[in-house]
Amino acid sequence: MTDEAIAPPLAGVIAVEISRGVAASHAGRLLSTLGAETVLVEPPAGHPLRREPPLLPPAHEASALFAFLAAGKKSVTCDLTTQAGRAALSALLAEADVLVHDLSPAERVTLDLDQQTLRVRYPRLIDVSVLPFGATGPKADWQAEEINLIHASGEGFLLPNGLAAELFPERPPLKVYGHFAEYQGGVVAALGALSALVGSAQGGAESVDVSIQDATLAVGAFALQRLGDGSLEHRRTRSFKYGGVLECADGYVELLTLEERQWRGLIELMGRPDWMLDPALSDALERSRRGAEINCAIRTWAREQRTADIVARAQALGVPMAKYASPAEVLSGPHERARDLFQPVEIPGAGCLPVLSAPFHVDGAALFLRAGPPRLGEHQYLLSAKRQREQPAVVAEVS
Amino acid sequence: MKPLAGVRIADFTLHAAGPFCTHVLSQLGAECIKIESAARPDIFRKPHPVYGRMGPASFDQVASNKLSVRINLKDAKGSALAKKLVGVSDLVCESFRPRVMERLGLGYAALAALKPSVVMVSVSSSGQSGPDSHFAGYAPLFGAWGALGYLTGYEDGPPVEMRHVMDHSIGMNAAMAAVAAVYRLRQTGRGGHIDVSAREVACSLVGEALLFAAAGGEPARIGNDHLRMAPHGVFRTREEDRWLTIAIRTDDEWRRLVKLIDAPHLLSDPRFETAPGRHTHRRVLHGEIEHWTMTREAGEAERRLQAACIAAHVSCNMEDIAHDRHLRERGTVVDVEDMSGNKRAALKAPIRFSKSEVGMTRGTPRLGEDEDYVFGELLGLSREDREVLIDQQVIY
Repeated sequence: MTDEAIAPPLAGVIAVEISRGVAASHAGRLLSTLGAETVLVEPPAGHPLRREPPLLPPAHEASALFAFLAAGKKSVTCDLTTQAGRAALSALLAEADVLVHDLSPAERVTLDLDQQTLRVRYPRLIDVSVLPFGATGPKADWQAEEINLIHASGEGFLLPNGLAAELFPERPPLKVYGHFAEYQGGVVAALGALSALVGSAQGGAESVDVSIQDATLAVGAFALQRLGDGSLEHRRTRSFKYGGVLECADGYVELLTLEERQWRGLIELMGRPDWMLDPALSDALERSRRGAEINCAIRTWAREQRTADIVARAQALGVPMAKYASPAEVLSGPHERARDLFQPVEIPGAGCLPVLSAPFHVDGAALFLRAGPPRLGEHQYLLSAKRQREQPAVVAEVS
Repeated sequence: MKPLAGVRIADFTLHAAGPFCTHVLSQLGAECIKIESAARPDIFRKPHPVYGRMGPASFDQVASNKLSVRINLKDAKGSALAKKLVGVSDLVCESFRPRVMERLGLGYAALAALKPSVVMVSVSSSGQSGPDSHFAGYAPLFGAWGALGYLTGYEDGPPVEMRHVMDHSIGMNAAMAAVAAVYRLRQTGRGGHIDVSAREVACSLVGEALLFAAAGGEPARIGNDHLRMAPHGVFRTREEDRWLTIAIRTDDEWRRLVKLIDAPHLLSDPRFETAPGRHTHRRVLHGEIEHWTMTREAGEAERRLQAACIAAHVSCNMEDIAHDRHLRERGTVVDVEDMSGNKRAALKAPIRFSKSEVGMTRGTPRLGEDEDYVFGELLGLSREDREVLIDQQVIY
């Protein structure tokens, strides 16, 4: 660290968020953690995710999901069904750089927040719509939750693979834990907002349309590439020939050897058993053909091992191996601590708890999580105060 | 006009996560110059027997839309040439193990000394700092380290491997952070170093579960269940291996579902009267739903449920995706030509702007395809200078 405090990348940016779902909330959170002031506009009854499980023990009052997604944001309440509420929102938008929302196209028209109206009233405001299937196209008004979206984007059909698929071949395909697809939508929406901000210097403000389905499909691009190569991927056939999820005496590890030197390291790790020294197995294709036999031996060996021991030895030998870490293990991990991945913030109704900042460092350090989630309407004064911006704002043309 | 027009990237990334970051940025308008060498070509240029590919790929999504030059970075003159390229670039992206760029003379400190406004994006398995920063890893390991793998799975089964979506999630986060740094660069002239940790990206995808655990909760594998919603799951249909996903959020949706599947006895069953009751008895309930889905084709059931404003979707395979009308109309799935001139489906970057354009304008580059432009026009090397560097295997 230098003596001079370096301002985070989005210092001076003001974002307004009107959200119900995880994707738009995550976008607002990413902008906030990168240094923007994100103002969450909540209905008088509060954001719906404030009541969404899991609730934090022991009081079970505060939602872990909301606390994670709203950490660092400011909260105002606006009843957008009333003229006064819409006028208050209008004052916020007049000073904002970005609006992130998950309003349907019909709701936008009702609230005077459609593209055309926004451009006229707030000429420098970038608006970012984050909807399950996007704001345009035949499915624009379709209903979807996480489980629908991860299957609409192809990854759901491909899970589980490896050991779970082997153990339960007849079961339905499996979603990724939690809100995987919605988080992808959030990251892409933040990327869209920032790209439009950069681009606005040349082309002015514009509207951004993000679909959670598109975003999740984008991170699944490899499966579509495989289709072009002539392979329709399936969860039961895309497993690694050997390695993968291994059960040990005290938990599970992941093993993946793609390169020759990693296979040779694995031979050392396993104590040079005779079967591995078979000259035929020095050929990668032969190993691939005999994958089931190799895996049987690796699994038998692994069941006798302790995870911490073999992972440390594997990494020292250059064998890619990791423990399937539980949340508690991640929280107490020396590596995560050294990188300040989790930072203590005050969560109303739950006390001071460590919350994940962001999955990257900027300027040599973790991004600072400036606060926990706001109380409902905690920053109501923002609706009446005239902002002091760091940079002069272009005067909005209010019609 | 694309939003990142005018941004130039010196792209040292290899494999999947890093190249996906720069591929997305290139679709948003950045000019991306991919740096490889014949001695160390990227993985798509080589056979990949693990995937049954016995020769180079004819199309690689994450390499597409990039320019290609050869530089042998292990040669001091190659390192010097790379620095010249950095000198005319705004962004430097790399995905080597930590400290490799330093060894090549191309670490952030060295480049920032050369060009203070440089923005560097490093993508690695565990980040540039911390006791595990030297660890080797691939996508499934990142998921394992970050608790995402531990939490994903049937409730009575083992953890589940994350595959390419993990790599690409890392790349998308890196692209997002990179544009934030470009924004600061444009506003203040200040560069900076973005250090993306793959395992932390996995953590960020289960951030709420990690917080729940920090408070003493014990998040666990729950298969296709939801913590609140029921019915909620993946249901069999009359078609083999053709699945339907359904999520019921409210009492109103529940009543509409019961009406649609013509099962009035469920409404009078006291177990299913309230949302918590339906959640408690979800196994029985899911059996009842499957009685109906088993008599239907997945697509037909999906359309009927959506017509009743119920969240439902077929579990799509990639054939479905490649031909999906919605995705085609949004321009999400587009047709491109591979190196042999064959047409295939590919993905446009997943952002639609009201004014700006986005997308691919060229396919997968051949190794060194753009050296006339990059070495000749951008760096001003004469034909003779380049011939010398080629003879010395610096351009190689």
